[in-house]
Amino acid sequence: MSNSSTEITSECTSDTAQLISNDEASTSNYAELNQTTDIQESEEDDLQGSHGVRRRQPIQKIEPGSMNILSAKYESLDYDTCENHLLLDEERKRGYPFIIWKDIARWFIVLLIGVITALIAFIIDICIEEFSNIKYEQLKKSVDKYVLLDELYIPYLLWVLTNISIVFFGSMLVAYIEPVAGGSGIPQVKCYLNGVKVPRVVRIKTLFVKAVGVISAVVGGLAGGKEGPMIHCGAVVAAGISQGKSTTFNKDFKIFQYFREDHEKRDFVSGGAAAGVSAAFGAPIGGVLFSLEEGTSFWNQALTWRTFFGTVVSTFTLNFALSAYHGHPGDLSNPGLLNLGKMEPFPFQVYELPVFIIFGVIGGLLGALWNYINYKLAVFRMRYLGEPWLRVVEACLVAAVSATCGFLMMFLLNDCRPLGEDPTKVPLQLFCADGEYNAMAAIWFQTPEASVRSFLHDPMGSYKPGSLVIFVVSYFLLSTWTFGLAVSSGLFIPNLLTGAAWGRLMAIWIQYAIPSMSINPAKYALIGAAAQLGGVVRMTISLTVIIIETTGQISNALPIIVTLVVAKWIGDFFNEGIYDILIQLAGVPLLPWEPPPLAHNIYASEVMSHPVFTLRTVENVGHIVEMLKVVTYSGFPVVDPPLADENEVTTYKRLRGMILRSQLIVLIQNKIYNENANTTWSNLKVDMNMFRKEYPRFASIEELDISEWELTCTIDLRPFMNPSPYTLPHRASLPRLFRLFRALGLRHLPIVNDVNEVVGMVTRKDIARYRVWRHRGHMGMEELLLSSEI
Amino acid sequence: MLKYVVLVICFFLKIIYADLSHDLLTVQPRLNSLDNSVPYSKVCFEILNAFAESASNFTFCSLINARPIRLCENCEQHYVRFHDKYKELKDTAVNGTSCSSLLMSQDRLNVIQHYHDSILGIWDKGNCNDCFVWSNETATVKNSTTRFYKLFNATMECIVLNMASEKTIVCEKCMQNYLQLDEFYKTLSKDKIGVDCVCMDIVDSMNATRSIWSKTLECCVLRKTPEVVFLLCTGLISFLPILFYITVRFCGPIRDLPNILKQSRFKQTILRSIDSSRIH
Repeated sequence: MSNSSTEITSECTSDTAQLISNDEASTSNYAELNQTTDIQESEEDDLQGSHGVRRRQPIQKIEPGSMNILSAKYESLDYDTCENHLLLDEERKRGYPFIIWKDIARWFIVLLIGVITALIAFIIDICIEEFSNIKYEQLKKSVDKYVLLDELYIPYLLWVLTNISIVFFGSMLVAYIEPVAGGSGIPQVKCYLNGVKVPRVVRIKTLFVKAVGVISAVVGGLAGGKEGPMIHCGAVVAAGISQGKSTTFNKDFKIFQYFREDHEKRDFVSGGAAAGVSAAFGAPIGGVLFSLEEGTSFWNQALTWRTFFGTVVSTFTLNFALSAYHGHPGDLSNPGLLNLGKMEPFPFQVYELPVFIIFGVIGGLLGALWNYINYKLAVFRMRYLGEPWLRVVEACLVAAVSATCGFLMMFLLNDCRPLGEDPTKVPLQLFCADGEYNAMAAIWFQTPEASVRSFLHDPMGSYKPGSLVIFVVSYFLLSTWTFGLAVSSGLFIPNLLTGAAWGRLMAIWIQYAIPSMSINPAKYALIGAAAQLGGVVRMTISLTVIIIETTGQISNALPIIVTLVVAKWIGDFFNEGIYDILIQLAGVPLLPWEPPPLAHNIYASEVMSHPVFTLRTVENVGHIVEMLKVVTYSGFPVVDPPLADENEVTTYKRLRGMILRSQLIVLIQNKIYNENANTTWSNLKVDMNMFRKEYPRFASIEELDISEWELTCTIDLRPFMNPSPYTLPHRASLPRLFRLFRALGLRHLPIVNDVNEVVGMVTRKDIARYRVWRHRGHMGMEELLLSSEI
Repeated sequence: MLKYVVLVICFFLKIIYADLSHDLLTVQPRLNSLDNSVPYSKVCFEILNAFAESASNFTFCSLINARPIRLCENCEQHYVRFHDKYKELKDTAVNGTSCSSLLMSQDRLNVIQHYHDSILGIWDKGNCNDCFVWSNETATVKNSTTRFYKLFNATMECIVLNMASEKTIVCEKCMQNYLQLDEFYKTLSKDKIGVDCVCMDIVDSMNATRSIWSKTLECCVLRKTPEVVFLLCTGLISFLPILFYITVRFCGPIRDLPNILKQSRFKQTILRSIDSSRIH
């Protein structure tokens, strides 16, 4: 390092001189780099990365399915308050009553979020229930009729066609209208809460597509659940309500303007996601913990308390609505979309703990396999299924195969049970004797959620082991195939179902092995379900609490925790959790909880982006517009103008503040120029609301209509910039940078030298590219590459 | 109060140890004569006596009629009496003190309530009320029940009559009757299984008939058919995704792989400036 620091002092002169000359010619940073073919790129430079961190061959193209790439498209959210003059003005004018008012408004919004999320959950639930009932009853009639005529293909084709047409509708919505609404939405919400702006993720259109999409996916008979989408819906509701306006409908209600910033919005979104979890599983505490575990980088006590309030409101609103719908209004004990049914507290002995550990191991292995298959499929889809219509065709084919799978199972496994012992909604006789029904048909002719309940609660002899084995294998494959299609459906229910099925299978085998003991199949089915889900998603705290809350038994906590911990460890030995895999495939610069270990010898001077594009405190509009058009950066240090003495070329310039691209755009939009201070904007109210009005979708520089005369004007940036941005000296280490970024939720961090001159800029992507991996007993750090095309 | 307790205990003993009842009956007048100021207790004991009798009658009847279940039909009289007596016991009050407060909820065993609940539980679990039309605490057999048994008997008679001949012949001959019975049964309840509301006698009769019909006589074998067209369809549809994936894999336009973006770092800038200065 001593070596390189001497280099800095010796070489920076010419370097900046070059930058200045380029700056005048307005060459893009990227363009410049791409043009420099004459300048030899040293091979060594590419190979090593910064600081000898492991890096693969200097490739120019990215392998398909590589998880070692960050996408340059994602921008960061800005949680730092910009303490400019306008904010100070506002604070001075409004005083303490405003703070109290704001607090009351926050509570009110959380209440609204809880209620509306629950109502959306209610609508989704009722639609799925009613449509499924109609569908399966019609199918049953058809089967009953045609089975006697030796024309079973008629109900079969009817089923296939129903599935395809329903899924086609949902898939068209997702593929053509809002692709970001596909899947469960949890990875996207996770990214958002981590501080990455995922485009269009919290829009009302997404909410609509998500809600309709999930209804069509579940009614269409795909192996998917509605819980993940519910969480996403909650997040969108929160982001929408808290802003008091809708850009989609071009309607500004002129309320809650003071919440129009990333920080406040993020807090509400975390509350909304929690309310979604709570509505989906009937688990208020699980919802709070989900937000804590999956998301928010800051967490404070007041926010936790508000979030908890929101989740409880959400659960009980849903209970109220569902109980009113089912004909006993006022009964508040109908919790959650996913109701696993009240479990009896099952007794367990010390000698059963190893059994739970074995369940955890199986869950971890199956989960890792599930993730691997799904990852391979995701890569294939990225590479070959780019066209939306191909995605729609794929979804329809999967819907057809799901129906085929179910029908074949009923047809081939003649697993008959006497009627009336279990609560079967649609008992299908098929080839069974009169007074009996086909057990497999009972599983397939209902929503997956109801099937989970059957596996958990039916008595011991309800299913034959042979049928269970076939069911587990086929449903495992179907669910991993389904997740990632262009439909919005989650993975909780399919995995719970697979897990409950193999848990019950294990229970039957244990019973065979030890006939003297009476085995409780519900216990093992539940443990199996938890293990399978834990092996796939690798969540720990929130999943445990969610399962405890959905089954209503705190005394089952120990077996569930043991199983989940083991499942997570075993799974992590092979690969990441499914959400992390998807996030890495998308190249999202997610910051983990902790900085990379052994990284204190990586310094800010290596992490930072080097030639910094700066603005002077009083800047020429033409220059600003030019720069905004040329570079893609969204934060610019504002610096002192270089000293007048032209002979002694200033190397770096002294930092005065930071200004954001969005602020510059609003300034130009409103023509806040020094030259027309007395004419155009003398009667325009220049305050924070000018910026809030545009939030969150600021115009791009190309969309602005800038006339010729404006280019010669100047803007004084000082009242609008953030005068005291967080900075670090260039000798700061990576962990230090990381902690500042993670804890404060920063977006830009100027790196300064000893005399407070800007030498570089660190953004989220600069830090996120140092990633730690640990698999199969090894661990290391690698430096990721960037690409703007994924 | 103490003497009431003694009285109550005596009567519990009387119920449980029926053999000893006459001994206790000799005790009872003695107790009563000791205290003539409580004549109402006698009223209560009489009701209790009747209640106990009806309960034991019902229990006996229900056990006798357990298999095949004819409980609702045959024990209805006992049930009505039992029910009435319990109500009487509850409602009767002498001098402002009700019998139930004397006899029930006095101790943790609470025998009377317990027996009542268990008998009521059996009756309700079998949906027995559904076999009858209730008016003014008297039960008359429902029309649908009579009709069901008419059909049931017809079917059974047909089967028994033809038992000697070949199975297929029985099936053929009784098919009409059986189908009629089956159809009628399905109309009885909303869920078509009969779990929700149909009385247990009918459900059990139907189950037995169905079992004889499809298991003993094997009249349902006709259901199983080769279904060749169906199997062909499933094969075809399962094959479609494979075809789809292969087509897309080999025939689709191959998208260009994403390029790597050069990052602008301090080190590169310096190296470049060294290079450029070398060139100059």
